[in-house]
Amino acid sequence: MDYSAGSSNLTDEELVKLALEDQAVFLWLVERYRAKLLRYINRLTNVNDDDAEDILQDVFIKVYLNLNDFNGDLKFSSWIYRITHNQVISRHRRLKARPEGYLIDIEDQAARNLAAEIDIEASADLELLKKKIKLILGFLEERYREVLVLKFLEEKNYQEISDIIKKPGGTVASLINRAKQAFKKELLKQNINL
Amino acid sequence: MPGENNTPKSTPREGNDVFIDKLSARLKQAELAPYPRWRFLLKDYVVWAAGALALACGSLAVTVMIYLVRFNDWEIRESTHKSLGEFILLTLPYFWLIFLGLFVFVLYLNLKHTKQGYRYPVWLIASASILASVIVGSLLSLTNIGERLDNILGARAPFYDQMINRQMHFWAQPEDGRLTGLMVASSTSGFTIIDTQGRLWEVIILEETRLPGFLAPGTPLNLIGRITDDLQFQADLIRPVGPGKGFLNRSPHAGDCSSQDCRLERPLGQPLR
Repeated sequence: MDYSAGSSNLTDEELVKLALEDQAVFLWLVERYRAKLLRYINRLTNVNDDDAEDILQDVFIKVYLNLNDFNGDLKFSSWIYRITHNQVISRHRRLKARPEGYLIDIEDQAARNLAAEIDIEASADLELLKKKIKLILGFLEERYREVLVLKFLEEKNYQEISDIIKKPGGTVASLINRAKQAFKKELLKQNINL
Repeated sequence: MPGENNTPKSTPREGNDVFIDKLSARLKQAELAPYPRWRFLLKDYVVWAAGALALACGSLAVTVMIYLVRFNDWEIRESTHKSLGEFILLTLPYFWLIFLGLFVFVLYLNLKHTKQGYRYPVWLIASASILASVIVGSLLSLTNIGERLDNILGARAPFYDQMINRQMHFWAQPEDGRLTGLMVASSTSGFTIIDTQGRLWEVIILEETRLPGFLAPGTPLNLIGRITDDLQFQADLIRPVGPGKGFLNRSPHAGDCSSQDCRLERPLGQPLR
C-alpha cells in the first residue's frame, strides 16, 4: 500500500482526530512534520544531528501526549511548531552559540528574500550569500534569530509566528523589525558585505 | 471529513526507519496515551474561574471605594482640610486601591494565561482588567454592597481603623477638634458619646451647632468643635458617620440602645480594637 497516498487527502486536524483513537495514525503526522521540524530545530540550535533527533523525539512524545489539547483555535502546524520551539528553548538555552554558525539549511529564495527585506544589495554568488547569512544569524540574539528564522526561512506569516512564540502580533512585527536592524548592525560589526 | 477509506491502515515505514521505530517503541513501551481532554478543560476552567474570582474581588474593592468616596465628607472639607489637594490626598482609600491593584494584576495574569491570552498586548489586557473591575464594581454599588461590606469589615476586621479606613483615626483626634463615637444618652446640655478609646464625653450643643436630621442613642457620630473641659466637647458641627459605622458599632456597643440611652456592656476606658 502507498502510505503517503493513504494520508495525503486527510488534513492535519483529521489525522489528529484519528490519532486519538489509533496510535499508528499518529506516525503519519510524525512523517508529515518530521523533516520540517528537524530542519527548524537545526535552524534554531547548534546541536549535532543526534541531539537534534533526540529533541525531535521528545517533541513528538509531547505532541502525542497533548493531542487532546489541540483545537481549531490555531493551525496544527503552528501548534506543533510551538511545542518544538518550547522544547528547543528548554533543552538548548544553556548551550553556548557556536561561532562558526548554525546548521542552517537556507533555500535560495529565502536567502534572496532575507537580503531584500533587510534592504541590502546581495551579491550574485548565492552560495556565498547563504554562507554569510548563516554566519550573521549565529551572532544574533536568540529572540531575533528565532523570528528571522520563522519569517524568512520557515516562511511563516505574522499570525503563525504569533501563535508559535505566543506573543501578540504587534510584538512580533516590532521584533522582526528590530531583528532586521540587529542583522544589519551585525553585518557592519563583522565587516561583512553581502 | 475523514471517511473509512481515507484512514491509514499501517504505520509509515515502520521496521525500516530508525527514527520511527524508536519513537514507536517509546510510545508502546511506556504505554503512553494522550492525556484525557478533561485534564486540559479543567486547566482552562481553573484559569477562568481564578480570573472570575479576581474580578469579583477587584469589583468589590471598586464598590467599597465608590461608597467611601461618595460619603467622604465633601461638604465639610473646608473645615477639616487646608485645600482640596490635601483633602483628596489624605482621604484616598489607599487600602482599597492596593487591594484593587492586586486583584487587577491577578486578573491580568489569568487573562494572559488563557488559551488566546498571548494574542493581546499587555496594555489591552491590563486596561480590560481595570475596566471590567470598574464596570462590575459600579454596577454592584447600585445594590449598596459597598456599604454593607464596609459595615461588616468595620465590625469585624482587625486594624480596621489603622489600615482599612484611616478616616476613623483622623476623626478620633479631640485635641485637634475632631471627635468620633457612638451617642450613648441625651443630657440637659447635649448628649454623651463614647469614643473609640472607650472614654465617655459630655457633648455640649449650642444654638449655632449644626445638627443632623436624626439624633438618637446608638447613632455613630462625627463631631467638629473643641475640648472645653476634661472629657467635655463643645460641638460646632455634628454629622452621622458614613463609612466606619460598623467600627463604632462594634460589639459590645451595638444592639443595646433604647430611645433614651445605651446600656454599655463594655467597661469604660477600653479602646475599640
